[in-house]
Amino acid sequence: MKRLLAITLFACAALTAHAKLPFIEDDYAKAVARAQAKNVPIFVEAWAPW
Amino acid sequence: MKAFVYTDEGLERYAGRFVWLSINTEEAKNAAFLKRWPIPALPMLLVLDAKRDAVTARYVGGATVPHLQKLLDDAEKTYRAKSLSAADTELAKADRLASEGKNAEAAKSFEAAIAAAPRNWSKLGRTAESLMFAISGEPSRCATRALELYPRLKGTISSANVAATGLSCAASLEADKRGDLLSKLEKATQEVFDDRKLALSDDDRSGLYLALIEARDASGDDEGVVELKAEWSAFLDGAAARAKTPEQRTVYDSHRLSAYLELGQPEKAVAMLEQSERDFPDDYNPPARLALAWKALNEFDKALAASDRALAKVSGPRRLSVLSVRADIYVAKGDKEAARATVAEAVAYAKSLPEGQRSERRIAALEKRLSGM
Repeated sequence: MKRLLAITLFACAALTAHAKLPFIEDDYAKAVARAQAKNVPIFVEAWAPW
Repeated sequence: MKAFVYTDEGLERYAGRFVWLSINTEEAKNAAFLKRWPIPALPMLLVLDAKRDAVTARYVGGATVPHLQKLLDDAEKTYRAKSLSAADTELAKADRLASEGKNAEAAKSFEAAIAAAPRNWSKLGRTAESLMFAISGEPSRCATRALELYPRLKGTISSANVAATGLSCAASLEADKRGDLLSKLEKATQEVFDDRKLALSDDDRSGLYLALIEARDASGDDEGVVELKAEWSAFLDGAAARAKTPEQRTVYDSHRLSAYLELGQPEKAVAMLEQSERDFPDDYNPPARLALAWKALNEFDKALAASDRALAKVSGPRRLSVLSVRADIYVAKGDKEAARATVAEAVAYAKSLPEGQRSERRIAALEKRLSGM
């Protein structure tokens, strides 16, 4: 499929601010341990600093 | 989403109901995560069940606040459910298969979920969008299914993605194989575009522009293509001008640069990117993009200087893209030796990346380029 761009705007933010939500940065093991302890799901945003 | 969505107060009520994990796919330390959960496109939103080591929901693309709220609500219900409906069971299976990279099998399950969907099923939009992504490599099927699904999605945000993806697929078909798919999907996409009741994000609207440009291009309407590209560029400039912070403004840099390059106006990108480089001196993106703009302006020494600044800051798979552009600059400058050495450096770097970041396909493409130099 020919696309002028195969990316979305919001993938392109080289930013780290998550003011309202307590994001864990780049630590899957920590997220798993916390989710198991709290019995809640893990929300993951996989992104790249494009 | 970091600049516009996660900071929204409407998401505060979800804060304690999920563990929130941000994965920068360019970071070597995330290689193990990427091996377990392959990410074929960005951004990717996942909801994972840590107890079962399973995916609960999966969505490719950016989301607005209402879109994300719906994804979270649906995922939480699935996570807590003691049993699932037939449609939910098929969707869960499809998400699992898609997360394992089994697109063909995933597509079958997305179709089964849609077939089993009760009236007003809340997950129809996400399922249809996921199906489109899974079959986007089959343009005829993708366009046909988009046209069939569009009436069921009219009035929802998902209609934008389904119509635009379908239109893009139709535009990529040979003219004699399109039938009326192109014209009907262009009409549907235009309908979404003109629906002012739909709270489309700038991202959604930019995607619609891209699909509409492709459609005009496929129809051989050169004048229409230029007109739409100019409109798209002005739209992005307006969105950037409305940004409240430098962080929000730079979100648009990538698409604005693409629009300027498409329009043959690379000079318009220079001031914008120089401002971003001043605002974010540790970010490799502004100089990497400046290298492209200077190259398009045939200012090769400035392009190489910008490339130097980007390479000083970039690591991971994205470094390969910066090196590829650098090789292109040398080729354009007529320095074949330096171009070859740069591609050789890219090959060596690509091979040094850890599993999860290492791409055999990328290595093969670079080696092929090197052997042809």
